[in-house]
Amino acid sequence: MSTDPSHPLAAWRRRQVLQRAGGGFGFLALQHLLRQSGLAAPSTNPMAPKPSHLPGKAKAVIWLFMNGGPSQVDTWDYKPELQKRDGQALPNFDPKTGFFPDAVGPLMKSPFAWAQHGQSGSWASSIFPHLAQQIDRMSFIHSMHTESNNHSPALFMMNTGVTRMGNPSAGSWVTYGLGSPSDDLPAFIVMSDPKDRGLPKGNASNWTSGFLPGIYQGTWLKPKGQPMENLLRPADLTPQHQRAQLDLMARLNHTNLANSGAEAELANRIASFELAYRMQTAAPDAFDLTKEPDSVRKLYGLDQPHCAHMAAQCLMARRLVERGTRFVQIYSGGMDNQLSWDGHSDIAGNHRGFAQETDQPFAALLADLAQRGLLDETLVICGGEFGRLPISQKADKPGRDHNPHAFTVWLAGGGITGGLHYGATDDVGHQAAVDKVSVRDFHATLLYALGLDHDRLIFPFQGLDQRLTGVEPASPIQKLFA
Amino acid sequence: MRSAFFLALSGLAAAAELPPDHAAKMTQGLELFRQNIAPLLQTHCLDCHGGSHTKGDFDLATREGLLRGGADGPAIEPFRAAQSRLLQLVRHQAKPAMPSKKPILPEALAAQLAAWIDLGAPYDAPLAAGKSPPRDRSQVSPADRQWWAFQPLATAPPPSGAPHPVDAFLLADAASSHLTFNPPASPATLARRACLQLTGLPPSPEELQSLAQDSPSAPAYPALLDRWLQSPAYGERWARHWLDVARFAESSGFEHDYDRPHAYHYRDFVIRALNEDLPFDQFTRWQIAGDEFAPENPQAMMATGFLGAGVFPTQITANEVERTRYDAMDDMLGTTSSAFLGLTVGCARCHDHKFDPIPTQDYYRLLATFTSTVRSNIDLEIDPAAAAKAKADFAAETARLSAALASTAADRPSAFAAYLRDRSASPSPGWALLDNPQLTSQGGATFQPLDDGSWRASGPNAPSDVYTFTATTTQHPLTALKLEALSDDSAPAHGPGRAPNGNFALSRILVTAAALPGGPPRTIALLPPQVTHQQNADHLSGAAALDDNPASGWAVDQGGIGQNQAASFPFAEPLDFPNGTQLTVSLEFKVNTGHNLARPRLSVSCGPPPDLRAPVLPPAVAALRHRPNPLTPSEESLLFDWWKTTQPTWQEAQQKLARHLASKPAATSPVMVCAEGFPPIVMHSQGPPFLPETHLLKRGDPNQKQQVATPGFLQVLTRGDPAQWLWTPPPGSRSSGHRRSLANWISDVDHGAGPLLARVAVNRLWQHHFGRGLVATPGDFGKMGALPSHPALLDWLASELIRGGWKLKPLHRLLMTSAAYQQNSAPDPAKTAADPDNNLFLRQIPRRLEGEAVRDSMLAVSGLLDPTLYGPGTLSEDSRRRSIYFTLKRSQLLNSMLVLDAPEPLTSQSLRPTTTVAPQALLFLNSPQVRQWSRAFADRVAAAVGPATTDPDPFASRAYLLAFGRLPQPSEREAAAAFLAPRLAADPAERAAALTDFCQALLALNEFIYVN
Repeated sequence: MSTDPSHPLAAWRRRQVLQRAGGGFGFLALQHLLRQSGLAAPSTNPMAPKPSHLPGKAKAVIWLFMNGGPSQVDTWDYKPELQKRDGQALPNFDPKTGFFPDAVGPLMKSPFAWAQHGQSGSWASSIFPHLAQQIDRMSFIHSMHTESNNHSPALFMMNTGVTRMGNPSAGSWVTYGLGSPSDDLPAFIVMSDPKDRGLPKGNASNWTSGFLPGIYQGTWLKPKGQPMENLLRPADLTPQHQRAQLDLMARLNHTNLANSGAEAELANRIASFELAYRMQTAAPDAFDLTKEPDSVRKLYGLDQPHCAHMAAQCLMARRLVERGTRFVQIYSGGMDNQLSWDGHSDIAGNHRGFAQETDQPFAALLADLAQRGLLDETLVICGGEFGRLPISQKADKPGRDHNPHAFTVWLAGGGITGGLHYGATDDVGHQAAVDKVSVRDFHATLLYALGLDHDRLIFPFQGLDQRLTGVEPASPIQKLFA
Repeated sequence: MRSAFFLALSGLAAAAELPPDHAAKMTQGLELFRQNIAPLLQTHCLDCHGGSHTKGDFDLATREGLLRGGADGPAIEPFRAAQSRLLQLVRHQAKPAMPSKKPILPEALAAQLAAWIDLGAPYDAPLAAGKSPPRDRSQVSPADRQWWAFQPLATAPPPSGAPHPVDAFLLADAASSHLTFNPPASPATLARRACLQLTGLPPSPEELQSLAQDSPSAPAYPALLDRWLQSPAYGERWARHWLDVARFAESSGFEHDYDRPHAYHYRDFVIRALNEDLPFDQFTRWQIAGDEFAPENPQAMMATGFLGAGVFPTQITANEVERTRYDAMDDMLGTTSSAFLGLTVGCARCHDHKFDPIPTQDYYRLLATFTSTVRSNIDLEIDPAAAAKAKADFAAETARLSAALASTAADRPSAFAAYLRDRSASPSPGWALLDNPQLTSQGGATFQPLDDGSWRASGPNAPSDVYTFTATTTQHPLTALKLEALSDDSAPAHGPGRAPNGNFALSRILVTAAALPGGPPRTIALLPPQVTHQQNADHLSGAAALDDNPASGWAVDQGGIGQNQAASFPFAEPLDFPNGTQLTVSLEFKVNTGHNLARPRLSVSCGPPPDLRAPVLPPAVAALRHRPNPLTPSEESLLFDWWKTTQPTWQEAQQKLARHLASKPAATSPVMVCAEGFPPIVMHSQGPPFLPETHLLKRGDPNQKQQVATPGFLQVLTRGDPAQWLWTPPPGSRSSGHRRSLANWISDVDHGAGPLLARVAVNRLWQHHFGRGLVATPGDFGKMGALPSHPALLDWLASELIRGGWKLKPLHRLLMTSAAYQQNSAPDPAKTAADPDNNLFLRQIPRRLEGEAVRDSMLAVSGLLDPTLYGPGTLSEDSRRRSIYFTLKRSQLLNSMLVLDAPEPLTSQSLRPTTTVAPQALLFLNSPQVRQWSRAFADRVAAAVGPATTDPDPFASRAYLLAFGRLPQPSEREAAAAFLAPRLAADPAERAAALTDFCQALLALNEFIYVN
């Protein structure tokens, strides 16, 4: 938690505390109990905000995950040489690079038109007209590479730093390292495709807390129905009676607290019921997009059928971050080929469709965060789990197969200088060639933005000091930061 | 100077082909080192490689370290700069470029480095002050064996000073603190503690009453301990602890998280083994190699589910095949070593273990044990006695129902006589088979005619085929044709089609008819058919067999596989040839490859088309049905045999028999084992399920294979010749014997890892009874783990375990009858000051129950708990069985368990954290299940107290007794009265709601979920 009093999250926190102080018998009774127990405040809350290692600007992260692996050479990595060599074979290409060794085609130019935008003159393909307007806020890493050519290992790599299943996700590491500014909203929230196209491959292991305590696991918002478990009180229990229940529990718990032998832990549990009681109001409030003015809803594209779902998720992400949620991850696209950015066939149709779903909401998110002064403190990440090959994958309408050797990720906000391009791929965009950035480097950069030193963010487990960046070397890309 | 030379030369012992002038060169190099190289290395290299870090396992603070190199291999070759990798990195001729993420060094500096290497790269002193050469961790030294956990068990007897040995050890260690145990907990508190710990359920009011009859001659507490240890709930409770350690779940994780529907047998094995007090060494051996120790014993086979309980990818690309296989073996080995030995061998996968004496070579030797170990589903007779009884019961019931069927129609001669007299109306007409049938296949299939008039196809199953059926009939007028697609055991998935999935797809049916004798054939127009099932209503429907499109036709997947199917095609106009009809029916199968019929049968109707499911009559019967009386006795008999099948009583009896026959108990059940020689469970992999050999891998990278690893054991836990544990399977065995050899070593108390196995096991018992293990890191007894707080006690308990034949129940009893266990949890300022973490175990500390025990306790108190043991689990939160029977599907872990800190079953977990966060409180406040159980709890209490009582006091008393095993104190009675009284006098609904609210509050109290 920043100590800067002008921090919007700090201001919001102050309002919350003031409201809570008048929050009825339960909270006052709790204060009383805690004083009696000689405690100023619950001392064992694992979610309490913790200071960062370094003065990072970012307080929160919104990660827009282009699930399935978008093609760098059809989005942000302009390759004139690829246009020229369209139809030629790619020399020395290992057919096992992608997923379908039997469908290897020749080099294939991007089906989209390209243009330069903004002060920075950054190139963008024509499928992102709205983001092109925000391009000077965005900085690009063109030289990302990863270790697997298969979705779920690559998703695990991107989210947890290893291709195996079960290590903690970046969001869990961040909430473990920094705690949560909000105590009545989940610290780490994940939203998946709401159009019945499924979860990303690997499912919830993409936001698992692994060997970290389970409370650091991402809270997955159900795309349909009530987004969180147990947020609604039972139908046959009135608010008054639930309040009375809580007061009764505080009173009965109190009877046995003083001589319990575990005062702090038990007092903390009493406090957790009050938090839960407030969460019943706070969380639905954060999820309620009807409270946004029409102008904002329109900005995100909530009125546009082709992108309304992503607009809602992006707008909700902003509302959550504004209220103190530390880490939000939104997946674009679902599980199966073609139902995500996984354009094995018809790369043009596939990418055009998913760009239409995301372009306006993503651009609106950047503009809206900036307009509210939140962008400086919110790191926005956008990218997939790997890239796609510059050669075609043979099909009626050609697609592109997986490419672990090169992909582009863009970052904005959270101290990132806009309009930069870091690293580069080879002439045709097949492999990262200049200033290669490993997923470990990317994670180190993410942590760096938040003021966390990847080498010092450790958790002892199975005889090792575990890190998000593992045991191999990693370095943040400091050049991206102002 | 002399010492500098000694330092320099000692490192050369192993180097080959020293230049003849090496001594002079070294002297010269030493000067260069002092003046240029030492500052260079200190400025540009040391911080990451030997100073504050040792990246890439490369430490150049000493010459030995420099010569040894790092994880990527040697850094330099003395006297040969041109062959030295370090120089290539520094000159950015190879990767990773050094210094990392910094500008390239000026060539002048690189040249100095080169010159120094050419002079032998001597040092005068370590670059980091006081640093000694890094030791070679690939060899296990005598000092390594001195680590406490690798020692034989100490044999010290318990100290004097307390009658109970456990107390004597603890008090001896606490002597210097001048503190002693807390006073004993109250009998009710103690009973609740013991019962919750042993069974995961609160004691019943009846059990608590037995405390009142406590007497010196018949002490109540030990009797209760025995009772709970004998309860099946004990196994369910303690199996849950072990399943954390075994990272047990019932799905594969990764992309699709496929279910492992037969994996629950492992969970049942653990419960059963604990309840039967299977000796822990045998429990261990069976989990590693049950199939090699006792292949005839289904329990031993089920035990191997341990090895296979980890995650495994469902989709594996060609270049991931090796890595995923090494990952899978690493999971088996890592879990085995952590669960049984408390060692983290996984660290040695990429490099020699940094802290524990586990060289990489040892890791790969252990890993090679599992080279051909894979998951398989095999059929096992889980409970032979029960299976035999079920078989006998089934046969008896079959006989009874068959007799009933035989007698149903026979006892109705008058009805048959009436039918014989007038056969014009009833029973309803059936379908008639045709005369002189012939069936041919264009694709070369051959057909065997069966007694029921159907034809079994065999031989070639052509990609597309046309069956041509010719026959005659004298019946008329013909009104419809029925095509039956009968299921058959000879077909894939029992048919009715010959496609690999049992499907068929009839692209077109064509009927031509000619009047006999010798009329011209003409095509018969067919109407859209009635069908028993069709794959969809569109291009795979019955009607799709009438059009000319070869890509559409009648198919029956999506619910119709393995069953008899039929379609009846009404003729657009009746076909009335008085002298008989010659029919040709052509069946075309062109929709999909090999989707031909397995066992077709054709029949026709005359008169109004009968129901699709009406029986098919043999031609003889069909003819008899309309023949005028009198009939011969044999004809009557033939007709009777058919007639009786049309009678409702017969049909009912026949259906009963059919239903019974369909429910034939399987003699065996599929069980997931993890063994060798059975067909592996196959995923979507572009490679084989396992690799022929396990190699030693450089840096754990399958692309950097070194020599083949042969199975072996940890050097540091080996005394004597390893051959003593090797087991050679008898000729013809399906397995290698490697796992049994490993299990022999792990459980060998005298020369192998047995002492450590026993220490780790007793520590786990202690951990769950006292809140923290004597070794506070139960999964890590290595150097990164905690030291034992009471080593003599730990060793004595381990010895007791072994002495008692590795039985766990006596050990529980031993621990729980100590004064240490029975003391209360009251805080004591003197102890808080002297021993804040309670390392001396001089009080009990209240602990929250695990999620499973919380939920099970709520169910028990509500009276809704279903105590059914064993069997398949469920994913429904509404289940009323114990939580251990929740199916553990990795992508659908249940919120109620996760939120209360149940671990994700990914790696072996020995400790569960206890967190307190708002989502837990939401569970108690708002979960529909908790609300439902609270209602049941309230009803249970109301029933005991009396439905009309408006006095809150008896209600509160009963509820407290059930929930907490005690009566409420005055202040609690007061609070309950204030809450309940205003609403108890109201209408029944309000009263019930108030009681529910109250009971729910009790279930959410700290006291309910904390063990004092």
